[in-house]
Amino acid sequence: MSIVKLNTLPCPTFTWLGVNDTTADAAAPVSESVSPGGTVQISESAALEVSAQGGEKRSAVMFISPKESAHITTKVTAQGGSHVTLVQVFDGSKRTVSKVEAAIGDDAEFQLVQLYLKTADTISEVDVRLDGTRAQLDTSIGYLLGGSDRLDINLIARHFGRKTRSQITAKGVMQGSAEKTFKGTIDFVNGCSGALGEEIEDVLLIGEKVVNKTVPLILCAEENVEGSHGASIGRVDEEHIFYMLSRGLPEDEIVRLMAQSKIAQIVGRIADEQVRGRINDIIGRGIENE
Amino acid sequence: MSEKTYVADIDRSRYDFRFDEDESSFLGSGLDSEIVNAISQEKGDPEWMRQLRLHSLEIYNKTKMVEWGPSIDELDVDRIITYIRQKSRMNTDWNDVPDDIKQTFENLGIPQAERESLAGVGAQYDSELVYHNVRKEVAQSGVVYTDLESAMHDERYAEMIRTHFMKLVPPTDHKFAALHGAVWSGGSFVYVPKGVRLEIPLQSYFRLNAKGAGQFEHTLIILEEDSYLHFIEGCSAPKYYEAGLHAGCVELFVGKNATLRYSTIENWSKNMYNLNTKRALVEQGGKIEWVSGSFGSHVSYLYPMSILNGEGARAEFTGITFAGEGQNLDTGAKMVHNAPNTSSFMNTKSISKSGGISTFRSAVVVKENAHGSKSSVSCESLMLDSISRSDTVPAMDIRTKYADVGHEAKIGRISDESVFYLMSRGMSEQDAKAMIVRGFADNVSKELPLEYAMEMNNLIGLEMHGSIG
Amino acid sequence: MSHLLTITDLCVNAQDKAVLHGVDLAVEQGSTNVLMGPNGAGKSTLGLTVMGSPEYTVTGGKIIFDGQDITNESAYERAKRGIFLSFQNPVEIPGITLSEFLRNSLEQISGKHMKLWDFKKKLKEAMDTLNMDPSYADRDLNVGFSGGEKKKSEILQLLILQPKLAILDETDSGLDVDAVKTVSQGISEYKERTGGTLLIITHNTKILDALTVDTTHILADGKIAARGGSELAYDVIENGFDRYIGRE
Repeated sequence: MSIVKLNTLPCPTFTWLGVNDTTADAAAPVSESVSPGGTVQISESAALEVSAQGGEKRSAVMFISPKESAHITTKVTAQGGSHVTLVQVFDGSKRTVSKVEAAIGDDAEFQLVQLYLKTADTISEVDVRLDGTRAQLDTSIGYLLGGSDRLDINLIARHFGRKTRSQITAKGVMQGSAEKTFKGTIDFVNGCSGALGEEIEDVLLIGEKVVNKTVPLILCAEENVEGSHGASIGRVDEEHIFYMLSRGLPEDEIVRLMAQSKIAQIVGRIADEQVRGRINDIIGRGIENE
Repeated sequence: MSEKTYVADIDRSRYDFRFDEDESSFLGSGLDSEIVNAISQEKGDPEWMRQLRLHSLEIYNKTKMVEWGPSIDELDVDRIITYIRQKSRMNTDWNDVPDDIKQTFENLGIPQAERESLAGVGAQYDSELVYHNVRKEVAQSGVVYTDLESAMHDERYAEMIRTHFMKLVPPTDHKFAALHGAVWSGGSFVYVPKGVRLEIPLQSYFRLNAKGAGQFEHTLIILEEDSYLHFIEGCSAPKYYEAGLHAGCVELFVGKNATLRYSTIENWSKNMYNLNTKRALVEQGGKIEWVSGSFGSHVSYLYPMSILNGEGARAEFTGITFAGEGQNLDTGAKMVHNAPNTSSFMNTKSISKSGGISTFRSAVVVKENAHGSKSSVSCESLMLDSISRSDTVPAMDIRTKYADVGHEAKIGRISDESVFYLMSRGMSEQDAKAMIVRGFADNVSKELPLEYAMEMNNLIGLEMHGSIG
Repeated sequence: MSHLLTITDLCVNAQDKAVLHGVDLAVEQGSTNVLMGPNGAGKSTLGLTVMGSPEYTVTGGKIIFDGQDITNESAYERAKRGIFLSFQNPVEIPGITLSEFLRNSLEQISGKHMKLWDFKKKLKEAMDTLNMDPSYADRDLNVGFSGGEKKKSEILQLLILQPKLAILDETDSGLDVDAVKTVSQGISEYKERTGGTLLIITHNTKILDALTVDTTHILADGKIAARGGSELAYDVIENGFDRYIGRE
């Protein structure tokens, strides 16, 4: 099988950081696309499609835990005025390569929630074109990594349309000797006047041997835009620790609670209560005390 | 337009005068061991330096060009004339400096600046240091400020130079570090002994005069324990048709509890390729403060690196980049936390205008052993029109949980409300915008000595008014 | 009566700057104390130091609580001993509900597992006392709470955790009249139910209306400048601190 470059950073940087791309075996062709409705379990390579016609509302939930290494592609089309919600929960112990490609039309909205609860080795790319005027992207990413989990995320919001908006929120917890790279790019293409883009990553490091790489890019070729990104990486905030200590919580419990807090903030964005319940069951076993 | 523009235009000419070159003094262009040996011989290098040059050349020839950053395809390194035999040798008496060179520096106000406020001045004209002087009282305190070539031949410093030269930036670092190693020429050596705190700054001024020339000066500064130094580096080059190359190298060794402030206002002419490498190694409790303004050059790659190698070492980087028409300035900083309780702080601003491209690029690395370290990065970019470009490319690599790393970045434009407010108080639109941009650049200007802050403000005024002048 | 809290010659630095220079303060078991003083006198510093905030460094003196020297204990140990601080600016913790947080705290402090149903009942009662909308129990801790709601959330925690000593740091500031009344009721409820000890840092009397003040301590320039009964508190509120400051 041939090796391919994946998760290429839209604007490469210092080579020694090792964040410009990653490699994996090329995907075997998958015969046809399926359009999932409701909640689906994905346990092998698949090509999926979620599309909404003008004014339509669509939502899909995918629990992804392949039995063998797998490539999963998801094509999202949100036409004028439509609303697409996609929830992806990665909970697999085999190498998973995922790619979400989305195009958002006029006044359409794409809400993406991704949760990485166990990612033995996951390479995940999200490439979104905000084509239409006032197209909106709302991405929430939560990860709970432990052991020797590996995760590489490359998320790109390409603002083409006027007054487009993107919001990228990533919150996560890293335990054990997990390694994670989060690359998030807001690309303001010339002509996207009035666009807004915001990106936030908040990482709680718990494990002694974790490796966290955060690469938040803003590319800008348009004057009339506003973009921002912020990142906060490290331990639990001292002020939070003191407050909770003063209410009688021991440090290990505080750390557990804060870890739960990070993930809960992302899970809380999922509307479907059943899906939330199922995720919380998985999480229950995920947060260890170190 | 207003008087301001007129004044600014005159100001510009300060950097655009030039004198004719005597072609016969070129050693030829392109690069092979023959040239490198010739340079070495010309300079009377010690054997270790000759070997270092040849070794660097080997590395240069087998190293690939960088695979990221602005295009340097148009830069034909082989055509850059790597060495110009200077018409003069080192002078310590200003009166002995040849007239045309002297005129250049008079125009730049160098000896004048020295007389007025500086502890010492080194001026480099093309490849070699032509004038150098240090105030008596400074010299008496044991501070050494001299050109690197003389220092290398002075038995008091020879060993110090051999053990530090290109140890922080090895020729293997990247292609242009290798090129530098092979052909470096000129530059400064500063040594501040233990406990000496220099209250007045030392300054060097580099100037590139020959067309199509390369400037490869090397700055080596060693601060012993508990010392303090502020070093100011200024760069400029008049404009020629052929592109010039600046591949200098700055190595700074900051000893235990010592503080070094390194300020640069770079205003190379707009056909320069500025591929400069700057690096500081900071020992326990020491501090490096970088203040950096990038205004000139056609293409810049500039990311001073601070290696925090001792417990409690600190680094601050304050920078501004202004990319105007035809400029692609890729600037930022690198911070490496390699010891416990180290801290780094980065505050940068960039401005893009009239088709200019500015990129903020950074790396913060917190290693496994850097327990209790803190890092904070703040970068802001201003887009002045929609034909320009501004990219922000930061990266963080954190390998211990005992760290606090924060990062924030913003990009935007000058708000119409601010412009309107200033205009309602009687300012023209251009003046209003220039004032807002000057305010935006405040982080850097307030870190500079007054005369440099004024020069920087002039440069901003110039850039802001350029398009309507 | 014995002293629940005894502070002797306490010197405290905040970021290398001395804030308290030798504070002596004794609080009797079951008493109600008011701590007053001009802005910047070090009142909050004192409260936070008794709670064990890492922002402040004790450079001299001792804090004795319940017969034990707690000067070097962590906030967690102090909380377990029964010290509670109502924060002026409580932190917001998204993703953790008020109810979840409080139940966890209660179990830690009491060392006993509590049945969810029992806890919910207890919480509901306390919330009723404070006129708090029950939905707040399921909202994230202090997230999006108004100033008044945050203060009520602190008093709610006081009622549930039932500490031996409650230090209330300007719990009444920024509240409207009705809210102060509610908070004040909550405090007297705590007092009645548990016979607890109070150290109230305040600038005005409204919060004291439902309480009987035993001792008033005036803190100025990092030292106790005067001490008296309830009349002192009312005198200061009416006439200011001038008389009590700088007459060593």
